[in-house]
Amino acid sequence: MIAADILLDGLFAAVAAIGFGAISDPPMRAFPRIALLAAAGHALRFCLMNYAGVDIASASLSAAMLIGFGSLWLGREIRCPMTVLYIPALLPMVPGIYAYKSVFSLIMFLQSLNDPGQGMQYMQLFFLNATVSLSVIALLAAGATLPIFVFNRRAFSLTRRRRGDRTAPEPLERMESHTHRHPESRNSDE
Amino acid sequence: MKTRHELTEILDFIAEYATYLLGSGVHTSRAIRNSQRIGESLGVDIQLSSFQRSTILTVRDEESGEALTRVVKIPALPISFERNSDLSALSWDALDERLPLAEIRRRYALLIEKPRIDPIFVLVTVGLANASFCRLFGGDWTAVAIVFTSTLVGFAARQRMQAHGVNHFLIFIIAAFMASLCASVALRFDCTAETALATSVLFLVPGVPLINGVIDIVEGHILIGCSRLINALLLIICIAVGLAATLLMVKDSLL
Repeated sequence: MIAADILLDGLFAAVAAIGFGAISDPPMRAFPRIALLAAAGHALRFCLMNYAGVDIASASLSAAMLIGFGSLWLGREIRCPMTVLYIPALLPMVPGIYAYKSVFSLIMFLQSLNDPGQGMQYMQLFFLNATVSLSVIALLAAGATLPIFVFNRRAFSLTRRRRGDRTAPEPLERMESHTHRHPESRNSDE
Repeated sequence: MKTRHELTEILDFIAEYATYLLGSGVHTSRAIRNSQRIGESLGVDIQLSSFQRSTILTVRDEESGEALTRVVKIPALPISFERNSDLSALSWDALDERLPLAEIRRRYALLIEKPRIDPIFVLVTVGLANASFCRLFGGDWTAVAIVFTSTLVGFAARQRMQAHGVNHFLIFIIAAFMASLCASVALRFDCTAETALATSVLFLVPGVPLINGVIDIVEGHILIGCSRLINALLLIICIAVGLAATLLMVKDSLL
């Protein structure tokens, strides 16, 4: 039963990722991989939250890191940058309900200015919803970006053709070593 | 050594390329990296810094030391991951195959002319996505069906309004209002009406700008990252306004 729950969670997350991703016009060849990443990430978060008692922010961070590393691994074959795979895969985990509920609690707080007790309750709700939505969004994006920092050479050249596919002779070795340097270091020494 | 005319041509192309990338929802460091890669393939140094609405870029000829600068407006384009990967691949091809500027320009024109995904296909998949979202939040099958239908209405309204160039804040308010109003029929049925109402507007949440904003911030482009987040926040407020209008009509309370 638990396995079925996890599988269903992954399945619905995959459908959600494909649909919400489709708004942003991803390449057709990326859809199966987006679905796979979204299913794996969301199912991991579901397990951590429901069976391991982890909070939503840490669970999202773990899921985002899984999706990030997965996109680094799957992006090479179809020549897609990591963000093209991982942003749609993260979309089902974006805390939309928390986000607009923080706006609602703010509106309700303004409507109960004359009743301090009620007002405190709405303020508390506002902080709860705003904290959850901000931290989840920040951790989702930061977790998925982590692989770029760790493997920046590989992450920056996912869309590069493999040597055999190129139509022109190899560029000079000097150019190669120059392009692989991290952009930060390039900015600082020029 | 480049003549001034050649340098201007390179600058104009990179300006068009970089602002196209930034306009179609590519995070800042990738746009900068791709532009610098093309510059490198043409033997010039490119530096650019970007804001929400405009980009400043300088191209400098390494040999003569001559430099040209332009400030370019970023066009408001729909987000497109396909353009993102195609144009990134173009920058690698330019470097690896040492393409001349005319050839890069020709391939660029072909790539940005590629058709987008069929709007009807997007409409149906968005409907399915939001319906499965309702299921993820514990809605029953009646609620799922209602959310599917109301998402179709809301998203179709958004597509039509976008085609007519309506202000995007208004689009979000009206689409959220229409979708949630359709979903409020769930109150008439014996089903998880709360979940149906709460998830009916989620297809509007601007997930891509939110994630791009945080990516920009962690990569050191803090200013444009914050601009993107604030932009997304405004859209979320618009969604809340549209949904609040429905809730006040059908339920008399927001939370």
